[in-house]
Amino acid sequence: MSRRRARGRLGWNALGIVIFVVLVFPVFWMLSTSLKDNDQISSFTPTWFPRHPTLQHFADAIHRQYFWTDVGNSAIVVLATVAIALVLSFLAAIALAKYGFSGRKLFIVLVIGIQMLPQAGLIIPLYIVLAGRHQVNTLTGVILVYLTFALPFCVWTLRGFVLGIPKELEEAAMVDGSTRLGAFVRILLPLVAPGLVATAVFAFITSWNEFIFANTLLHSGSKQTITVWLSFLYGGNRFVDWGQIMAASTLIAIPVVIFFLLVQRRISFGLTTGAVKG
Amino acid sequence: MLLRTVVFTAVNVGLTMVLGTLGALLLVRVSTWVRLLLTTGLVLVWAMPPVVAVQVWSWMTNSENGVLNYILTDVLHFGNYFQHNWYETTFSQYSMVTSLVVWGAIPFVTITVYAALSQVPHELVEAAQIDGARAWRIFKDVTLPVLMPVLLILTSLSIIWDFGAFTQPYLLIGPGQQTTSNYLMSTYLYFEGFGKTDFGIGAAISILMLVIVAALSVVYVRRMLRVGEEA
Repeated sequence: MSRRRARGRLGWNALGIVIFVVLVFPVFWMLSTSLKDNDQISSFTPTWFPRHPTLQHFADAIHRQYFWTDVGNSAIVVLATVAIALVLSFLAAIALAKYGFSGRKLFIVLVIGIQMLPQAGLIIPLYIVLAGRHQVNTLTGVILVYLTFALPFCVWTLRGFVLGIPKELEEAAMVDGSTRLGAFVRILLPLVAPGLVATAVFAFITSWNEFIFANTLLHSGSKQTITVWLSFLYGGNRFVDWGQIMAASTLIAIPVVIFFLLVQRRISFGLTTGAVKG
Repeated sequence: MLLRTVVFTAVNVGLTMVLGTLGALLLVRVSTWVRLLLTTGLVLVWAMPPVVAVQVWSWMTNSENGVLNYILTDVLHFGNYFQHNWYETTFSQYSMVTSLVVWGAIPFVTITVYAALSQVPHELVEAAQIDGARAWRIFKDVTLPVLMPVLLILTSLSIIWDFGAFTQPYLLIGPGQQTTSNYLMSTYLYFEGFGKTDFGIGAAISILMLVIVAALSVVYVRRMLRVGEEA
């Protein structure tokens, strides 16, 4: 029996490794290509590993027009979105988790419902609203649009984190003579901090990756975000410079991968909270 | 176009859910180090920004010297795909888009289902084994009922996401290659609205999309609401 089970496990392991190879191949291929020289890339028989690893493509990519400008734009948009969303949604989450108020149920329905709307379906109305306020082709406009999806998400996730902290802790602090504000600063804030970080990182990732709105709202090259910049990247005039495109892709993916590894567990938990327990 | 969008969504969601769930079942069966390897891979894939993934896909599938044609022809010997153009027919175009979307969506499903699998009571599985139940029966009668709520939510989320998918079809097929013969609703409304600046038609399609998605997401919203009230 045990030998049969061991042999079975060997089979599953082999299958697991095959799937791993298929799964990460595109990522491997991106890295591998970005390090190859042009002769090796344009060869008709691809080779798996770079023969003469070079960083030339990375140098080309970061010296391309608007790379740093657009990284800067992305950084401004992302940081502003995350900061505003976090402050507003933290307060909203506390209200939702701790207080009853009229319209609370409607508020919850809206918070969940708004996250379900397909972004493609919202481009036109948002464009028209922003155009009326002369906010098309400005970063402010994009920040406002990003808040429309970052806010509901942050409210809902943070609410879960706030709920996870026992009421008694705060009450005990207040019994001991702390003010409501004092209890908030000394008890609630430090305990929710990990949740705040996880939520912030998730908002960071979605805004950094966002393409549809940035592509529609930002027209000039110096004002675009980095994902739009990448989507326009074809390399040279006469041939597609895949080495450079893959190098740029790698650079743009790196911050996301790092942050993702940091908070992956919490995200999966947040999106289906309750489902598992249900 | 509506039909194409529906079929596209159904195929993508179906593949994502089936492959994702199978992945989770596999994760339970492998040794710890393979599980660690797979989870790292899954998170890596999950973290890829869609625009980056599109660029990698167009590089891998390009007809000149894409690695996909090379693998099919020279490594797996599936036939001659030398300089095969994957973007010639609408079906082929959307096969590529589907592979891209499903690849990106599997990690979320697999990791979530895997988390849910740990909730399946050990005693029940063992009891079923003692009673002589086969693996399939155990899955159907013991595991599946526990997974059902999670699968339901994941499916409705996937439907909502894939129905509104824009970045992948728009960029992978290429803005210049889209015509009335291969539009999805999302790309159609974009080209009507911003290509021809006909906001009227674009807005009409938007409303149609929003209504359909609203109907589809009722399951998810109700479920979340119940969770919200319990807590």
